[in-house]
Amino acid sequence: MEGIEIAMLGVALAVGLAGSGSAIGIGIVGQSACGLISEDPDKFGQTLLLQALPGTQGIYGLLAGFLIMQDIGIVGEELVELTTWQGYAYLMAALPIAIAGLSSGIYQGRVLASSINLIAKRPEEMGKGIVYAVMVETYAVFALLATILMLFGIAV
Amino acid sequence: MPIIDMKKVYILGHRQERTRVFNLLHKMGTVELLDVKSGEGWKEFQDLLEPEQLPDNISQIDSKRSDIRFCLDFFQRHFPIRKSMIEQFTGSRLDLTDEQFNSYIEALEQVEEIYKACREAEEDLVRIRNEETQSHNLIEDLQPWVPLDLPLEEVEEGSWTMMDLFIVPVEQYSALLEDLPETISEYCLDEVFSDEENVYFFFSALAEKKQAIDELFRGKAVSRASFPDVTGTPSDIIDSLNKKLEELAQERSAVLKEVEKLLVHRPMLMACYDYMDNEHAKHQAMANLAGTDNSFLLEGWAPVPIMDDLETTISENTETAVLTSREPEPDEDVPVLLHNKGPAEPYEVVTKLYSTPKRNELDPTPFMAPFFFLYFGICLSDAGYGILLGLLAFYLYRKLTLGESGRQLLKLLMLGGISAFAFGILLGGYFGDLIELPPLLFNPLEEPMTMLIAALAIGLFQVYFGMGLQAYRNIKGGKPLDALYDQGFWFIFLNGLILLVTGINPAGQWMAVVGGAGLVLTQGRSQSSVILKFFSGLLSLYNVTQYLSDVLSYSRLFALGLASVVIGMVVNSVGELAAGSIIGYVVLVIILIGGHFFNMIISTLSSYVHTSRLQYLEFFNKFFEGGGRSFQPLRVKNNYVDIVESEEN
Repeated sequence: MEGIEIAMLGVALAVGLAGSGSAIGIGIVGQSACGLISEDPDKFGQTLLLQALPGTQGIYGLLAGFLIMQDIGIVGEELVELTTWQGYAYLMAALPIAIAGLSSGIYQGRVLASSINLIAKRPEEMGKGIVYAVMVETYAVFALLATILMLFGIAV
Repeated sequence: MPIIDMKKVYILGHRQERTRVFNLLHKMGTVELLDVKSGEGWKEFQDLLEPEQLPDNISQIDSKRSDIRFCLDFFQRHFPIRKSMIEQFTGSRLDLTDEQFNSYIEALEQVEEIYKACREAEEDLVRIRNEETQSHNLIEDLQPWVPLDLPLEEVEEGSWTMMDLFIVPVEQYSALLEDLPETISEYCLDEVFSDEENVYFFFSALAEKKQAIDELFRGKAVSRASFPDVTGTPSDIIDSLNKKLEELAQERSAVLKEVEKLLVHRPMLMACYDYMDNEHAKHQAMANLAGTDNSFLLEGWAPVPIMDDLETTISENTETAVLTSREPEPDEDVPVLLHNKGPAEPYEVVTKLYSTPKRNELDPTPFMAPFFFLYFGICLSDAGYGILLGLLAFYLYRKLTLGESGRQLLKLLMLGGISAFAFGILLGGYFGDLIELPPLLFNPLEEPMTMLIAALAIGLFQVYFGMGLQAYRNIKGGKPLDALYDQGFWFIFLNGLILLVTGINPAGQWMAVVGGAGLVLTQGRSQSSVILKFFSGLLSLYNVTQYLSDVLSYSRLFALGLASVVIGMVVNSVGELAAGSIIGYVVLVIILIGGHFFNMIISTLSSYVHTSRLQYLEFFNKFFEGGGRSFQPLRVKNNYVDIVESEEN
């Protein structure tokens, strides 16, 4: 493979895996939320807010993918000539957010599914449910940070 | 003074004025009642004072309240009031003026009638639903038998012949047909209908063979279909059932129409519910009192600033009631009421989400507020989003009637918008890169390391600030040595390490050695033996990882700030792909508006929660314990209505 294909594999992994994490997480929360809505339709707004939270991993993945695409010229100007090793560097840089995005999306979804139970009983405690979920997201943020720093370190 | 001082108040008065005093307190909403029986004076006076019983009429109030609740729930089930997206967070209330509210309360006697009507309608509806289900089930059971052109009442056992309707699983049917001639010679089997699972058939034979037939049928899982209560052919019955269903539907809409007529009373019921609910709370609170035959005694907490007001209200509106007060004892469980002034006030909502401070503890709100303001702006860091968010929060603030936390949250978002606007200008974010203006400071995309180091530096400063606050607490609490050991040595040690690692100043290693030695010598001071002291002192150096991870955690400021700007850029470049033709520009505008709005909401949400998290886990844990009890006065609480100023005013 040439450098450009390897770099695009990185884009695919970052967007695809982190997006899958978000999709699974949002799916889990959605299932719980439907259960609650069957009892109390007025909580739709609150549950929607909780359900939106695991969406950030997918956004981080897209962000990382976008940064790579911009670097290698898929978005915007002409394609940049990459050596195989530069291509691998982009692939590696994409991995942190791809991996941590997948796992933290899923687990954040699980925490939030429990938060749905929490607001079923005590709607006023929604803030605390969100705080617990954000603990999980921390690692996606750090992975994004590592990805970004690695990307900025690659010289093309 | 962020935490309001409280005073213990006692109100003593004549029994006849008890209700009047209670109504006054309830309306003012500034006194938290205590149970006199658990107070310190109770032991001395318990021979004199009688504990107040729950008033007799409380059960009446309770049942009336639940009647009204039933009517309101009943209305809500059949004619729901839909809540808008915003109302789902704020709750939707009915705005009533004082006069309207009072006129509704005067109509309280009507409740009984309405309740009766609702109950009857509910019973009718339940009956209709049951009959509908029965009919539906019967239709479903009869459906396979439609081809049978025989009145069902004629399918019965005679003295010489037996006949009946049977159902057999498809896979058993052929075996049944094979086995039948072996059991009996004369019979009549007429297949009426078959579907994927079962075969439905009519069967008749001589009555004397019944036992043998039953046995055979049992072995082939044949079941009998019986329709005891109906007459006529299956298709006739189904027709009449369908007619009945239509009638039931009409009956239901007639009942619902009657209910709809009752809906005019809904506002009245809402007002009455809130009135009854408050009466109930008031009566329940009366159980906290004690008294003699002719007097009552009330005990509670009241904030110092309203004491004068309370005193004049009590003395002007009653003839006998006397109010006395005293300062709280050091070990008393005093409730905590936060009161911050100016720009720090909205940040109380962040503190309260974590925990109410203890009495005598520092209220962290004013210390945390500037950091929160700063971080929120860094995380959002887009001038466009900042303006939009500020305006949106301002609009909602003006439009909605909200509780205290809701108002504080919106004010916090307004301030956040201002902060994001400022950081957008400093770092060059205007709806991503929609408007390309040079940043005042630097562009984080071009100088990521500068941004990262800045984020960590702010974080280090906040961590030190938190340590400083704890040192202040220690000194103020009469433990200056603790301040030196637990904060001072760490401060020296950490700074030494930073200087050493970054190589800024070689003196760092000496600071690290001094600080480290101080920690090894002092951190084990609670241990008993010298060896244990030494080892737990040595082990405490491991806590350096805690400080390291605290500071590194602030790198999220950089990552989130970058995320909101880059997602904005993604929106812009996706929109750019569409631009070109006229339709393309329409698509471009739709993408820009939708995308930026979406990004603003998501980024605001993550800015808020991550900024809160930094306060809770990295800042508060340095000096703040929390766990105080928040002030909960006896006050008017409404579920359905808001009392507003009448329109002439």
